[in-house]
Amino acid sequence: MKFWGVRLLSFVLAFGFVYGLDVVTQTAFPNLYRLAVLAGLYVTLAVSLNLINGITGQFSIGHAAFYMIGAYAAGFVSQHMYASQPLGPVLWLVVMMAVGAVFAAIAGIVVGLPSLRLRGDYLAIVTLGFGEIMRIVVQNVDPLGGAYGLNVKPFGEPPKILWLVWLLAVLCIAVCRNLLKTSHGLPFIAVREDEVASAAMGVKTSSVKVTAFVIGSAFAGAAGALLAHSETFISPDTFKMDVSFIILTMVVLGGTGSITGSIMAAVALFAIPEWLRTMQVMIPGSSIVAGILAVGIMVSGFRWVQNNYHESVSKRIGAYLACVVGAAVAAVVLSFVLAFIPQLAQQRLDVAMLRMVIFSMVLIILMLLRPQGVFAHHEFSWDWLSKVLRARKGVTA
Amino acid sequence: MNETVLTLTNATIRFGGLVAVNNVSFSLQKGDLFGLIGPNGAGKTTCFNLITGVYRPTSGVIDFKGQNIGGLPPAKIATLGICRTFQNIRLFPALSVLENVVVGAFLRHTTSLASALCYLPPSIKETRALRQEAFELLEVMDLSDVASVRSADLPYGKQRRLEIARAMATQPELILLDEPAAGMNQKEKEDLQSTVRRIRDDFGKTVLLIEHDMRFVMGLCERIFVLDHGEEIAQGPPEAIRNDPKVIEAYLGEAV
Ligand SMILES: Nc1ncnc2c1ncn2[C@@H]1O[C@H](COP(=O)(O)OP(=O)(O)O)[C@@H](O)[C@H]1O
Ligand SMILES: [Mg+2]
Repeated sequence: MKFWGVRLLSFVLAFGFVYGLDVVTQTAFPNLYRLAVLAGLYVTLAVSLNLINGITGQFSIGHAAFYMIGAYAAGFVSQHMYASQPLGPVLWLVVMMAVGAVFAAIAGIVVGLPSLRLRGDYLAIVTLGFGEIMRIVVQNVDPLGGAYGLNVKPFGEPPKILWLVWLLAVLCIAVCRNLLKTSHGLPFIAVREDEVASAAMGVKTSSVKVTAFVIGSAFAGAAGALLAHSETFISPDTFKMDVSFIILTMVVLGGTGSITGSIMAAVALFAIPEWLRTMQVMIPGSSIVAGILAVGIMVSGFRWVQNNYHESVSKRIGAYLACVVGAAVAAVVLSFVLAFIPQLAQQRLDVAMLRMVIFSMVLIILMLLRPQGVFAHHEFSWDWLSKVLRARKGVTA
Repeated sequence: MNETVLTLTNATIRFGGLVAVNNVSFSLQKGDLFGLIGPNGAGKTTCFNLITGVYRPTSGVIDFKGQNIGGLPPAKIATLGICRTFQNIRLFPALSVLENVVVGAFLRHTTSLASALCYLPPSIKETRALRQEAFELLEVMDLSDVASVRSADLPYGKQRRLEIARAMATQPELILLDEPAAGMNQKEKEDLQSTVRRIRDDFGKTVLLIEHDMRFVMGLCERIFVLDHGEEIAQGPPEAIRNDPKVIEAYLGEAV
């Protein structure tokens, strides 16, 4: 009884969350609406790739291919069939998600099969190649719009589907979390950890790998279906290799195998460049150089602290703070000093233009300081939170 | 009463020019404690790999309870009832000690993946039952106090015991132990001997074990097969093996 109560409550909470997010975004931050949609899609993409890559350990790096297949399949069907069927827009979108998922899952089987023979780098090359091939194929198929792209406007206006996007994300998270919560998740991790040993324990390694590919690509396909309808226009360029790489970066940065990490990294990595894009601030070149140097000082300081302070937590936190303060002082002093170099001081640059530089710097810093990813293999849970809080209290007391 | 579990008939495997196992034939009865010995590189581990399906025999028959299992996939052979440990420990490092054992027990799962993905009560119940079962095995193997430790963080001797626990969790009829005492101290070896005996006496398993330590094998096994350069050089009870001139020659200088 309690079980079903908790379950009902989590359903209500999930629906409340996605619906609330939709309403709040529409009323309070209408110009963030589209970004919130894309962020939700990236959460689905990162969490579903994490199933293949992080949990099952199959180094697949062409996730954008499944995203594209879902988008084109659903977009094409929608464009040709919406007018001649009785479903309303929302139900139709749900059906289109299923269509995208099915097509992407079939592609997932096709890509999953080589994973039975190939490992590591070789599988990576195959998955990446598959993505590029699919993109070039689409570019040359005229009914799909070719290189120009495909208009997906079955309802006329683009539908407001933020809630549906995030519902998909929540569903994807729930599926992965359920897998890890039950013993059914263990064979997946076992395959990642040692294939020979898992086979000797009776794990059907082939079906585990293909299953991971099918589930992971199905979610990416469903996300693609929603992308096609919310953007109302897709082209092969929407799904270039850099999309695959950004999804992969989210998984690795969040901590390979950690669902929580993938979610956080997806939102952060999507939001940071978008936020920087809106910054209309001109900065003199001298300050930029000073900033880079200061960050370098801070990172070296952090690494020094990591290597030399092991005993007390409070001392270590103090040392980290000292690094931050030191770096801030260095930034101010350096930018003042460097301003005397006229070539640097007169060169003014837009932050928005520098956003990819800043973005890559953030990635490099994180990988230097925490190569196992922000969350490593940990997951968020209420137990974990209370343990951390108790540990903190223990330190201050 | 004597029921044959495993029979190798002229099992042979070639790796290019090297015949790693050459015309090997032996037979295990239910409840046997059978030792497989021989100098380094004799082909003992390769025999295990043939029996567990890692390699397909070039020729010969491997019969398990009336079925030729030569060349079947390893997972299939595990479900038929043969499980093994590895000479160069192959645990699942990131999983806890308990979870390692649950992977072994998972072989007997009955709920569907779909039910697990929806987190339905049957799969939750099954998860709980498998964990309970795994924990009981850990108690038998004296590992219950480290159940939640990451298996990679275990000391060497305990990792070896965990490998046995994990194999036992599949509830095999025949268990293959590849140098289970390697790297253990004297005390640990004695404990292991009694554990292996319990596996046979209390759990009714048939045991086939490879071991380098002669005292260990001689004190434990009732029948021994000696392999050298992939070929049989002797087979019989420990006393006969100890005095066999061919065996003494193969282990030249070593006290047998
Ligand atoms: N996959 C393989 N390819 C080529 N040679 C192999 C392979 N596996 C084992 N061998 C060779 O077979 C011989 C027996 O090895 P092995 O069975 O591991 O010996 P041991 O009796 O010490 O366990 C060795 O010479 C080894 O090099
Ligand atoms: Mg060996």
